[in-house]
Amino acid sequence: MPSESAASRKNDRRQNGGSAKRVENWTAGYQALPGIPDEFIDRDGQPRAHWQSFLNALSRIEDEQIDRRFAAADRHIRDLGISYRVYGETNERSWPLSHVPLLIPERDWKAIAQGVTQRAELMERILADVYGEGKLVSEGALPAAAVTGSADFMRPMQGVKPPGDRWLRLYACDIGRGPDGRWWVLGDRAQAPSGTGNALENRLVLSRAFPNLYRDMNVERLAPFFREFRKGLTDSATRPEPRICLLTPGPYSQTYFEQAYLARYLGILLVEGDDLTVQDGMVHVRTIAGLKRADVIWRRVDADWCDPLEANAASRLGVPGLIQAIRNGTVTVANMPGAGLVESRALLAFMPALCKRLMGQDLQLPNIATWWCGQEDARNEVMSRLDELVVSGAFSETLPGMKGMRNLIGADLDGATRTQLMDNLSQRAVDYVGQEMVQLSTTPVWENGKLTPRPFVLRVYAAATEKGWEIMPGGFCRISAVSDARAVSMGEGVQSADVWVLADKPVEMTTLLPSSDTVKIRRLLGNLPSRAADNLFWLGRYMERVEATLRIVRCLCARMMDPDSMTGGGRQSTFRLARMLSAWGAVPPEMAEATTAEIAAAALHGKKNVGSASAIASAAHRAAGVIRERLSPDAWHLLRALDVSLAHDDVKQMPEAEAFDTADEALRVIAALSGLFQENTNRVAGWRFLDMGRRVERAINTCRFARTFADKDATAENLDVLLDLIDSQITYRSRYLVGVALAPVRDMVLLDTFNPRSVAFQSERINEHLATLPLLNGDGIMEAPSRLALKIVSDLKVEDADHLDQQKILAVEQRLMALAEAVAQRYFLQGPNATRQGREMDLA
Amino acid sequence: MIYDIRHVTTYRYDAPVSAARCTLRLLPADDDGQRVFDSGLEVAPQPASVNQRTDFFGTRIAHVTIASTHRELRITAMSRVEVERRPAPAGELTPDWEDVRQKAFASSVLGPTAPAHFLYPSRLVPMHGPATAYAKESFQTGRPIVEAAAELMTRIRADFKYDPKATAVSTPLSEAFESRGGVCQDFAHIMIAALRGLGLPAAYVSGYIRTIPPAGKPRLVGADASHAWVSLWCGEAFGWLDFDPTNALMAGNDHIVIARGRDYADVSPIDGVILASGNQTLTVSVDVAPSQRMASDPPPRAVELV
Repeated sequence: MPSESAASRKNDRRQNGGSAKRVENWTAGYQALPGIPDEFIDRDGQPRAHWQSFLNALSRIEDEQIDRRFAAADRHIRDLGISYRVYGETNERSWPLSHVPLLIPERDWKAIAQGVTQRAELMERILADVYGEGKLVSEGALPAAAVTGSADFMRPMQGVKPPGDRWLRLYACDIGRGPDGRWWVLGDRAQAPSGTGNALENRLVLSRAFPNLYRDMNVERLAPFFREFRKGLTDSATRPEPRICLLTPGPYSQTYFEQAYLARYLGILLVEGDDLTVQDGMVHVRTIAGLKRADVIWRRVDADWCDPLEANAASRLGVPGLIQAIRNGTVTVANMPGAGLVESRALLAFMPALCKRLMGQDLQLPNIATWWCGQEDARNEVMSRLDELVVSGAFSETLPGMKGMRNLIGADLDGATRTQLMDNLSQRAVDYVGQEMVQLSTTPVWENGKLTPRPFVLRVYAAATEKGWEIMPGGFCRISAVSDARAVSMGEGVQSADVWVLADKPVEMTTLLPSSDTVKIRRLLGNLPSRAADNLFWLGRYMERVEATLRIVRCLCARMMDPDSMTGGGRQSTFRLARMLSAWGAVPPEMAEATTAEIAAAALHGKKNVGSASAIASAAHRAAGVIRERLSPDAWHLLRALDVSLAHDDVKQMPEAEAFDTADEALRVIAALSGLFQENTNRVAGWRFLDMGRRVERAINTCRFARTFADKDATAENLDVLLDLIDSQITYRSRYLVGVALAPVRDMVLLDTFNPRSVAFQSERINEHLATLPLLNGDGIMEAPSRLALKIVSDLKVEDADHLDQQKILAVEQRLMALAEAVAQRYFLQGPNATRQGREMDLA
Repeated sequence: MIYDIRHVTTYRYDAPVSAARCTLRLLPADDDGQRVFDSGLEVAPQPASVNQRTDFFGTRIAHVTIASTHRELRITAMSRVEVERRPAPAGELTPDWEDVRQKAFASSVLGPTAPAHFLYPSRLVPMHGPATAYAKESFQTGRPIVEAAAELMTRIRADFKYDPKATAVSTPLSEAFESRGGVCQDFAHIMIAALRGLGLPAAYVSGYIRTIPPAGKPRLVGADASHAWVSLWCGEAFGWLDFDPTNALMAGNDHIVIARGRDYADVSPIDGVILASGNQTLTVSVDVAPSQRMASDPPPRAVELV
């Protein structure tokens, strides 16, 4: 790796004074908020040693270099598509990464790690008791109503013994540093803690932007944590090489990108509820080779939605029968449904006492002082000290009965709200907690070339392993947009920061790579889930349809721009091109008489036209979004670029030359995508479905082109258009010097197995793909898709161009459509739980 | 009183259906003052699998999977049940309702009948301020709980119109409350929301009620229907007492319990995933026949109500 600072170090020596000056510039005017501890400067206003060495190291890089590196990091985030979705929005946003990491010295970190370990164990014991013996409640340590108020108290889990006796396999808590300098727990995450993927991403981006800085500061690596977490999951299964799945609510989930990223990083299968089915009391993945056992499920679907048979019957995200499979002990679910119970604020009130009772210790990290109002004494305390407290929902994000407010600060209440709250507190006290107001400490962010203090919250993760709890050295840090340090004003944060735990000595390099003697070499990876096959196939079809639409538009514009071609025959061709666009919904039928400028704009950009290039490119983007963990970042980037470049819904007409260029440019993106898929994708089943999708769509479209432009009365002009559409002008001219004629064109378009654009060529490739895919039965009988494909291949092989007619071409086209349907029937999701979404256009 | 109960549900589909998976909650269980002698289910077409279990609240559940193509799905539940309930206590002898509330908040039991399960909003019964305000008129400070609840029940019966057209299974509680109309399910949900709004533990009860024919008319077989009412926890000493707001009476020997839960979603008789592409028609016929009258009754004939 070229050193970032070979040159700048030389500079450095020359302008040592300059470097100190720059640090001074960055930090001039940096002041902690009154009464609030800061990570960078201590009580006396002096920079802390670890920050000083960080800034000194940073100052060895020139200003311009720093800006470039920050810009590169921002670009990297955009390119990787690091994003999250705000619930209810369909578009993803990227989560900005603070350019400065949060620094925590090893000494401080040890205390945090110990505290989180203790708390994770405490949570595990509480869950084991509540769902098991129930002594905490029956002996009065925990009121029953403090348990039942949680939507995550899963009654069907009562009496269930989890595999390895673990309810939690990944636990997280949000911590902040209080005014006394100690770390405080603000809340617990036990349902399905999110953010581990973001932490990993932030690390990747920042360590790439500042590789030397990262190394010199002795930052603890994250990879060992993930390795241990994965090993914990593996060890929990009963089979030696278990199949591990990450169960996602799907691409509309707020943290879908993170889930896809983690699945890819950890080498586990990303599945939706539909992908799984319970048979013979065990969970299985539906794959193209039939049902395959799922041993471990990392659950990111909330418990209430995870099994429509025993939880929310309206759920389409879950797996019917999952809870029974858990009861049977045939599957590990991490975390177990019902683990979210310990997230409720009501329980915070009982933690100090529960820790003493269950662990025989005091809490090492205190949590916010909390009073659950369901207890009469606590309620009276809260009512009398209201001015010093914050009132929040005991079990919910918002305050019950207070019009969607998240919390109320006692001191800020107006008369009417206070009366209303007091009224609610006397009626349904169980719904509320009072909490002491917590102030957060601040950490520097980079703003306009200067450091500025901002409040932050740190999420720390613990993973269950056979040796005990493993703590991620680092975490997910969210930074507030405002300098209001009250924890309640924090919200979700506006940016995140990488968290560097600084070791006293150089750290060992580790990655997820196991040592070579433990790895069995293999070239094929498991079985492709049916849903992934489905989406890859459709991604292929959508890409091909966009390409066909673009080619028609380009051809249409080219003809209009060429004065010679606008004589009688030419006009008839352009009319047919426009009719094709209208036939597959790229332009609305009422635009039949419109100008080329209008037709081109509608066919390229009209979002409302289901068959427009823009609409189909979006569909391709969406299909890709569902299988994001299977696509390279390059492919994802190109697919998004294609979608974005065509999304200009407001364009109502465009000059032919401009439309031509737009189509041409988009076709180049598709060519790049095709190249990527052809050259950079493993020849595994997934690629075959993608390629089959493209081939089947191309073959069908080519039949349509042939029927439109190569009927028995076709003019030379018509045939010329056809050769344009299938990109075979050059081949034709080099093969036939006499000019276009019907039979040779038909041969080249339909029957020629050497032409990569012909129908025969596509059919042969499909036939080859099918031959490599797994069979359901070993009975030697050909499966329906292979049978249909072989028939098409052989029919085209024995056909001769002179005897082709419209009827025969139509018959081939219909058989291809039947083939696409047969592929769907055989390989994609079927049966009682297959809720396939409608496809975006009326393709076969 | 001993009853023979027959509950037939028929789905007819315009287009053939290839698979179905449903959850049935149609069989009664032993309950306070209720004993089940015999009960069984019949499903046509023949299911590929039937898994029976009892859920957390003690409801008997059958998960049925049908794998054969069919145009009609017929589910028959039959049972013989003896009902002999204690008479309802005199209202004025029951504890102060606010005292009951504090006992429920502080309770330290988590079993299926623990009051703590029934304190909070549930899937179909969210908190509804107006319903709570409505209830408050009957719940003055210091009033005995049964007296207050009985008055609330009577007011619901008086203020709300029984109107099967006013609501559907999916009508939200707030809408039924605003329109002051609905069926037994709506009245039960409204009363539950009102009681929970005050901090009292209230449960939803599904079952049947015996219909008494008008004087001189024979009992019409199959004309009965599923019924729903409310159970309220009235403190340790009195436990759960059942209030039927549709009929403004405390449940007695004419009420047969199938299931108790937090609301209809916990006890819905049939939940299912059925892949039907065309339209479907649903027919339900319920027959609650007192056993000792069997001899004098005409032989049962199915009268189906669409």
